[in-house]
Amino acid sequence: MIALKDGLKFSGVTVVCFCAVFVCTFFMNFYADVLPLKESVSAEALPLYTAQLATAKMVCGITGGFLSVIAAIMVVFYIRIYVDSHRRALGTFKAMGYSNAKIAASFLVFGASVLTGCALGFGLGWAIMPFIYKELAVEGMAEITPTFHAALPVYLIVAPTAVFTAVGYLYALVTLRKPPLELMRGTKKLKVRARRCRKDRPLLVEMCLSTLSAKKMLAFFVAFSCFCFSAMVQMGASMQSLAEGTMGAMILAIGLVLAAVSMIMAMTSLVRSNAANIAVMRAMGFSAKERFAAVFLCYIPVAVIGFALGTVYQYILLKIMINLVFSDVAEIPEYSFDVPAFFITLAAFAICYAAMFAFFLYKADKATIKETFTE
Amino acid sequence: MIKAQNVTKSYGKTQALKDVSIEIADGEFAVILGASGSGKSTLLNVLSGLERADGGVVTADGENLSEKNEAERTDFRRRTVGFIFQQYYLLPHLNVQNNVKMGAALADNKDYLEIIASLGLEDKLKAMPNELSGGQQQRVCIARALAKRPKYLFLDEPTGALDEATGREVLDYIMRERAKSGCTMIMVTHNPAIAETAEKVIKMNSGKIVEVSKNAHPKTAYEIGW
Repeated sequence: MIALKDGLKFSGVTVVCFCAVFVCTFFMNFYADVLPLKESVSAEALPLYTAQLATAKMVCGITGGFLSVIAAIMVVFYIRIYVDSHRRALGTFKAMGYSNAKIAASFLVFGASVLTGCALGFGLGWAIMPFIYKELAVEGMAEITPTFHAALPVYLIVAPTAVFTAVGYLYALVTLRKPPLELMRGTKKLKVRARRCRKDRPLLVEMCLSTLSAKKMLAFFVAFSCFCFSAMVQMGASMQSLAEGTMGAMILAIGLVLAAVSMIMAMTSLVRSNAANIAVMRAMGFSAKERFAAVFLCYIPVAVIGFALGTVYQYILLKIMINLVFSDVAEIPEYSFDVPAFFITLAAFAICYAAMFAFFLYKADKATIKETFTE
Repeated sequence: MIKAQNVTKSYGKTQALKDVSIEIADGEFAVILGASGSGKSTLLNVLSGLERADGGVVTADGENLSEKNEAERTDFRRRTVGFIFQQYYLLPHLNVQNNVKMGAALADNKDYLEIIASLGLEDKLKAMPNELSGGQQQRVCIARALAKRPKYLFLDEPTGALDEATGREVLDYIMRERAKSGCTMIMVTHNPAIAETAEKVIKMNSGKIVEVSKNAHPKTAYEIGW
């Protein structure tokens, strides 16, 4: 049921998992290696050691906690939207007599994508670990060599793979509990919207609002991806001053990659879910501007809300983390709202958002109405 | 008048249209008849400006569609073309009234409710497409196309997904509404019986027009076999 072409669509899932696991691998390993060495650190080096440990703890907290949670939510969203967009195919297979378990099994491919990303992230994390250790070394403390901690691959490869495989499979199974005809025809939720339609609204506004209302999960996904973009890029920029040198640059790079991937995943889902509407409007003669207004305009406020929440969230999180983690360190690093980072992120966000819309609309416009509906 | 001269169209290595030439006069009802894969839907798409021909010239209403880019062809379709598809392609999140209003808005047609009523859908205004039968959905599709007040009405197997009784009923609606509006109608079908309702029949096979004939006495939807 899932072809190689679809497999490529999961590359976003693989990249998100790769980034999160890559960063977690060396910081978690470093933290686990450094923690028992407190006794061997000289009195002069102790403040620096404590500060370094605090930085590692903070980076771990942000990468291991924030990035991984975000990656997990992104993957779950993507699985849900992907399964939902294949409801017609699920209904067809079910009508043909395939068992629910057999149809849902094709969604185990999500586990393969997660496994690939996690394994690659863990492998690369290990490969560059000696270099990271050198960067994080503290003067006056014995040189640390990376030690393999068997629990880490379990936490970073086995657990996420098992969880996301189960999520993909179980969500498909839950979806398949519906009768085949209902799956093939669409959802009943649309009836609710029908009762609320107002006569006096201009058509394009009505179309826009009903599109948004019919695809609430998608709207939430778009808002979340913008939240991620905003939080990750600004947090990455702030971390550059908190975790200096190569570390800071690396965290920023990871933040940028994750931000870009999360936005691409959301945009592709958004355009794919609305491709049929765009094709019908194009056939009827609606101009590109009208098509955009009817289908996508409502997502702009959604995106702005996501961006604003991401800005507030990253600021509060960093403030709390710094006060919490550095509480037993003599000098708490100075942290205030990074205004230049905010404006740079906002500009990058606006450009990326507009460019992606233009690109995906161009792609959607290339397909014929028949191709769109039979895809 | 719609005119195609030496039109060719390929999809990859498959040549869907091979040197096709045809003329359809204003107000005429023409059927493009052929088996699956004969190129009839491709010809419909090219004549309506949905797709651009690879070679040859297509003119409609004095406009050369072959020279127009996507935005210009979209504008042409907006001004002059209505579509009725086999699979209806209604917008699933809009109710019947708003689906029809979509077409009416393009022609600034304030009387679209009359079209809905004439197609027997006045009690389904607030219904969503997934609450309608196939025949009702097709009638909404007809209303949406006619609400545009199109000069050219293109129909791609409009009764292909319907049973005989509903198919006849839908075909009858189409012909009556077309008689009222006087638009040029071009319908694609694989059913030779339906071709008996047309004034002109264009038979296609393997991307070529093999025969063009005229019906002196077109039949009604209830006079033909099925």
